[in-house]
Amino acid sequence: MALRRRVVVTGLGAVSSIGSSVSEFWQNLLAGVCGIRPVSLFDASTYRTQTAAEVSNIPDGFLTPAEKRRMSRADRMGLVAATEAVSQSGLDLSREDPARIGVILGGGTSGLLDSEAVYEIWLKGGRGRPSRVLNHLPDAITDRVAQRFGLEGLKSTITTACSSAANAMGYAYDAIVGGLADVVVTGGSDVLARLTYGGFNSLRSVDPDPCRPFDRERRGLSIGEAAGILVFEEEERARRRGAPILGEFLGYGVTSDAFHMTAPDPSGAAGARTILAALDAARRNPADVDYVNAHGTATLQNDSAETAALKVALGDRAQAIPISSIKSMIGHCLCASGAIEAVATVLTVREGMVPPTIHYENPDPTCDLDYVPNQAREAPVNLALSNSFAFGGNSSVVVISRYE
Amino acid sequence: MAVITGTGAVSPLGRTSREFYRRLRAGESAIRPLAPEERRGLQATHVARYDSFSPQPEIPAMKARRFDRGSQFAIIACAQAIAEAGYPVADDPGAIGIAMGTGSAGAGALTEFLRVLLVESPEAAPPFHFPNTVANAPASQVSIELKIFGPNVTITQKDPSGLNALLFASLAISSGRARAMLAGAVDEWNAVYAMGFDRVGALRGERRASGIVQGEGGFAVLLESEEHARGRGAPLLARLAGIGTAGVPTEPYRFVPDRRAIARAIRGALGAAGSDPSGVHLWLPSANGVVEMDRAESEVMSEVFGPDPPGAIRVKDAIGEMAAAGGAQLVAACRALADPEAPFPADARPRRVLVNSFGAGGNFFAAIFESAT
Repeated sequence: MALRRRVVVTGLGAVSSIGSSVSEFWQNLLAGVCGIRPVSLFDASTYRTQTAAEVSNIPDGFLTPAEKRRMSRADRMGLVAATEAVSQSGLDLSREDPARIGVILGGGTSGLLDSEAVYEIWLKGGRGRPSRVLNHLPDAITDRVAQRFGLEGLKSTITTACSSAANAMGYAYDAIVGGLADVVVTGGSDVLARLTYGGFNSLRSVDPDPCRPFDRERRGLSIGEAAGILVFEEEERARRRGAPILGEFLGYGVTSDAFHMTAPDPSGAAGARTILAALDAARRNPADVDYVNAHGTATLQNDSAETAALKVALGDRAQAIPISSIKSMIGHCLCASGAIEAVATVLTVREGMVPPTIHYENPDPTCDLDYVPNQAREAPVNLALSNSFAFGGNSSVVVISRYE
Repeated sequence: MAVITGTGAVSPLGRTSREFYRRLRAGESAIRPLAPEERRGLQATHVARYDSFSPQPEIPAMKARRFDRGSQFAIIACAQAIAEAGYPVADDPGAIGIAMGTGSAGAGALTEFLRVLLVESPEAAPPFHFPNTVANAPASQVSIELKIFGPNVTITQKDPSGLNALLFASLAISSGRARAMLAGAVDEWNAVYAMGFDRVGALRGERRASGIVQGEGGFAVLLESEEHARGRGAPLLARLAGIGTAGVPTEPYRFVPDRRAIARAIRGALGAAGSDPSGVHLWLPSANGVVEMDRAESEVMSEVFGPDPPGAIRVKDAIGEMAAAGGAQLVAACRALADPEAPFPADARPRRVLVNSFGAGGNFFAAIFESAT
């Protein structure tokens, strides 16, 4: 078999409700800090619930006031995370061929918070400032990242709801392996909005209290917001230029459940197909998996279906390894969830520390694996999976390993 | 490279890919004046909506109510492509996937859900609409309806989203992730989105000579590994010979008539196809009425192809501009290659078609299709 180009991670960036840099985010993940608090971005008093994992600090001091005015909250969060990731990668952009560096992100809410405000004015007969809808489409942040760093390579934005960022990383991987790019800035940025907050509430899938993944008493998810950015780079050139190699992206699996728009296949068969497709693409076996960063939304249906999927796909190995949901701390960051969770997964592999599932008290007979309850744990992790399952049955699993 | 074995179109210019192509070739256009009740405060004057669309007979009325308009377009177009290809989905549902581009999918559900939430109350917002507010609803509904288990993504990256989806699909096949991929694009016209586009200066109309006319529709091709397609005796309509892309750093909503980027995308597609400019015989321009962009495209075409560039079929003059227009260009390119009457030189072997698709935000794509038989 011909040698396949390998893809390594050479930079990470994070903005989340528990930290606006990778180090702060990681420390708080290991400490089990909960970022789910009362919503302040809009008046939530008329909604069924009033909490979310909101970002309180966006360190965007490097942007001019005029730049900030043109940007959405998602743009600013994404640029902060991208700046951190590109800086860590040590890429000297003045000496790189910008056409070989792409940007592929998962997108969703983007400038929705602003366009919702304009729409409300229109609905009430006013005119509203049209420039506030300019960032409505989810690709705005992708163009902004390319603009900020002067990148001229392939740009794309994947919008597959909660698996958007996972699929974006997959596309980035395919683009590098396929020779279309040497470096891709990937991940995603997604923010709170009334549409998504009201939407999940209308489906009765939001827990009024901080979410409790895999717990018998779980009552739904907590919505969150985050930006997670990863610099993907072709391995040989990363090694040649002495880049910090933080981990390897071994591959991914992307499938359709073809089951239901909002419900997972309870048997776990659909989720297992995605996990096995990912391992197959990465040329690894279930026995190689040391940790799973679960989708773990804390909805009644997801957590039992995901547990079943892990058992079907990994067999006995599912019982032997730690599995955790960091959504218990940072909420469900929707289109960016795959990105921020991949950042955590790279750090898990690199540091040999597994973040916990917090708020875990009551074992559920349908969720009977080791969810790393409440306390971070030291464990050697050579290879990890990060699961993302979305509305529409868009499922994606990424495989991240220690770089050797 | 992969081959195209089926095409599908649900458009204001025809409800099958053959009818769409025939009327396009005949020079028909679906662009019409906006009716007074559609205009309500817009300076835009024209639109290409699919006024007479009905999801029947393919989707029974009871069932059709569960789908938003974009999903209805996509389900029918994709089913057509699979039927023409005679592709046996059920033999191995995990071997076939879907990649769709869109700019507006979910707009109807999103604006209606938000309208109730904002005007009445969050508690009154209809849960029924929320799952369809996501842009991936059409591709996902296709996977559910056609029982497709393979890769499933939706891409939003301005006007070239359809070609971006084609690129994802071709990578899914070359990497072995799938043997066949539906690739295309879908859009639905929406009054609130039209108001937004009009007010930010994107639409052509009374006060603006440069800008787009909005359209809607669903378009898909079935891309298949050539080995697999030949093995099962599938109709080989065309081969995807190459894709070129270029990005320009700019504001997300700005049109940049960057000649260097346009040339890079076109030359990238030619290089990937292993073709000289003289090996291209037909051109489906990106031209959409944004004057500066159209002029730059013409100039670069003359620069790359000399004073006599290939003959053009102007798809967007017929159905308007949107991400789905890129899907329409893919369908038109493949139908032209399968059409014995198409205007190719008699000695052209293989026949080649260039598709250009450029958008705001510095997004440039070009693709080359060639005859596969």
